[in-house]
Amino acid sequence: MDDSTGSHLSVVVDLSPTQWHLSGHSSNAYPLALNSFLSQLLVFLNAHLASKHENTLAVFGALPGKSVMLYSSIDQEVGATMQMDSNSYLAFKMVDSAIVRSIRDELDVLMDDEEEAPCGLVGALTKALCYVNRVALASTSDNSSQSLEAGSSTDPRILILSVSPDLTTSYIPIMNAIFSAQKLKVAVDACQIYGTDSVFLQQAAHLTGGSYISLERRDALLQYLIMSFLSPPSIRKVLSVPTQDRIDFRAACFCHKNIIDIGFVCSVCLSIFCQPVPVCSTCRTKFPIKTLQRLNAAKPLLAQSNGSVERTPSSSQPPTPSHSGSVAPFSGHNGNTSYQSLHSASIGQGNSNGTNGARQGPG
Amino acid sequence: MPSVSLNDEEAALVAPLPHALIEFLAKEPKNTLTRLYQRPSSCLAIFRLLSPLERQIVMNLLWLESAIPPSTMAAWVVREHKKLYDDAMEALTDLNILPNSIVKLALNATFKTSFRQAITGGGASGSFGVPAEKDDKRPPFDVDSLDGYALERWETILHYMVSSGSGQNPASPSPGVLYLLQSSGLMASQQGAALRITSKGFQFLLYPPHAQLWHLLLQYLEMAGQRHMDLVEVLSFLFMLSTMELGREYSIENLSQTQKAMLEDLRDYGLLWQRKPSSRRFSPTRLATTLTSSSPPLPTSAGTSSGPKDGFIVLETNYRVYAYTDNPLQIAVLNLFVSLKYRFPNLVVGSITRESVKKALTNGISADQIISYLVTHAHPQMRKNVPSSFPNPLLPVTVQDQIRLWELEKNRLKSQEGCLYTSFTSQADYELVLKYAKQLDVVLWENAAKRCFFGSLEGHANIREFIERRKQSQMDS
Repeated sequence: MDDSTGSHLSVVVDLSPTQWHLSGHSSNAYPLALNSFLSQLLVFLNAHLASKHENTLAVFGALPGKSVMLYSSIDQEVGATMQMDSNSYLAFKMVDSAIVRSIRDELDVLMDDEEEAPCGLVGALTKALCYVNRVALASTSDNSSQSLEAGSSTDPRILILSVSPDLTTSYIPIMNAIFSAQKLKVAVDACQIYGTDSVFLQQAAHLTGGSYISLERRDALLQYLIMSFLSPPSIRKVLSVPTQDRIDFRAACFCHKNIIDIGFVCSVCLSIFCQPVPVCSTCRTKFPIKTLQRLNAAKPLLAQSNGSVERTPSSSQPPTPSHSGSVAPFSGHNGNTSYQSLHSASIGQGNSNGTNGARQGPG
Repeated sequence: MPSVSLNDEEAALVAPLPHALIEFLAKEPKNTLTRLYQRPSSCLAIFRLLSPLERQIVMNLLWLESAIPPSTMAAWVVREHKKLYDDAMEALTDLNILPNSIVKLALNATFKTSFRQAITGGGASGSFGVPAEKDDKRPPFDVDSLDGYALERWETILHYMVSSGSGQNPASPSPGVLYLLQSSGLMASQQGAALRITSKGFQFLLYPPHAQLWHLLLQYLEMAGQRHMDLVEVLSFLFMLSTMELGREYSIENLSQTQKAMLEDLRDYGLLWQRKPSSRRFSPTRLATTLTSSSPPLPTSAGTSSGPKDGFIVLETNYRVYAYTDNPLQIAVLNLFVSLKYRFPNLVVGSITRESVKKALTNGISADQIISYLVTHAHPQMRKNVPSSFPNPLLPVTVQDQIRLWELEKNRLKSQEGCLYTSFTSQADYELVLKYAKQLDVVLWENAAKRCFFGSLEGHANIREFIERRKQSQMDS
């Protein structure tokens, strides 16, 4: 059944000039500059297209401050103007030249900027998800000629190739993107090509059933890409791909966008804060002063105790820092349970959801 | 029913049926295959015909410079699917893509070089077809006309198969095609009469279009040997066509003599189009460019000019068949197993009767083939009534069962060759021989009252020997 229709791959490429400059610097153990990265990426993309006549492809670029679609095999004009060459397969050549051309155009525009804006990885990821949604809709709505030509693909995947460190401000949008991916049943693969491990991408891969790799030998990028990210899900059942044994499940707080080990969670809307707040900034729920005081008092205690302490006291329960249930705020096993456990570590009275009005307890 | 769908998925995972061409190639000598792998386009086309797992294995090994021990690769295999992996490795060895898979794993050097070239581009093989110069006076055929041309060619062949020798006089395809149909056993002529379709041919008509095309092409490949054509060149040309771009014109300059000779044959099958036979350029049609894709949007499946493109048959529980088509080929195929009643400009009405199905069965068509044909060509309206395909099937169950029952009716008698042993002198003799025959498990029928039994042919030599031995010993004693 995986053999009857093609599969769709959306690739999100991080094109941050600064990071690529750092990555290509010769002081690295395995320097990898943008141009050699691109040539290996193009081979990988061709390998995907080679696997099946019906396979489709879309490439999104994350640039400083914006995100663009670099290539889409559905929207692409059949290259009437394309110079043909008897030595290469036309489809590959079209992909290669289209991607290289659009990347060059985008980078040329960038050069004027003095200060580099943060990378638009989230924007690119969101666009990739929208694109997958569109492809999925086209293939399920009708089997008529329209979708046949458009390449009705199954099991879509997204591959994120990142070189930038985590942008803590993008925690919420990334989590939202992960939930959409789960809903669409899209596996998100991630590869951190340069720099430290990305907390958010690890979570994205883990929660959507994808694979996350932090590249050690950057000179072997292509082999990594092909062995881990080329195979569709059905093949991964036979030839396994690397998965993480340790996943960093920490979240970023909503107030200062810091990645935190222990946080405080609004019992109404589940927003995460790095310190107790009198009013939830997201849902405007007011918390009783008494609770705040108690939480503040418990804070140093929490900070001292080892990493496995977790339950912030709620007013219905006396402060019991020693109560070490399995509800460590940020060590849930998947997206939903991690949110559930966050919920149990709640600020304010009671731990069930109430309306805003009901939350306004005695001050 | 999730459990059922899971099983289906498992089944699809466990038993990927190899492509007909792969089976053909696996029988070819190793140096033929290596010669074939010299062309990047051939490598790409063959790669696409492999099963998904085999493709991934090839890809994993493609960019490695040195051979790796098999254990390194096997470490990636999930244990419960070890057998799948072993099968895939064996298939690749048969194709000479992965020689010596026991000692070390490395792709065939020729395959590796060519396939790398196919993916990265470059080289000077010219294996993806030399594009023709733009001719401003005569613009290339557009895609729609090419589709129309391919459809017309292909349906001419099929229509001829259905209606030749049946009193109608359909347009006859070229002699080359006729010869191919005849040598492949799809059609046969008796005593110089017009060619008539054989039971194999009837089965062929109900195949999906893609399988039909490959069936004929494989036959063509078999014939290539007889015609002293170089198999490698024939295959390379087919693979080159499959990697070409629809709606483009290519030059015939770089083709070998064999390949130029093939142009004519392939033109007859509708795989490519030329303005005139002496033209220096040709355009592949959709039949050719989708050769290596598994679910090809063949123009043949598109059906008629009017009506829905993906299905046209409505089957009711009262055995009535309504076919929304005016395509003579489809009507002719339906006529194989439906007794047609009325005909309107866009609609044919008939019913499935015992006689019509029996006629089909005697022609060698099986009940399963009829049912699968009805399923593949079911009208969207019929599909709409089926919320999820598993619990209630697309076709009315009564009709399906009845068609199968009619088939069983035909198989009430089973013939088997053998010998009847009679006139035993005594009951003891009879019983002794019968006991011996039963030990051999060759007794098909016995009747103790008449002292006779019937044994299959394989056992005859043994039984005769046994009886003679006994006679001998009786005489001796």
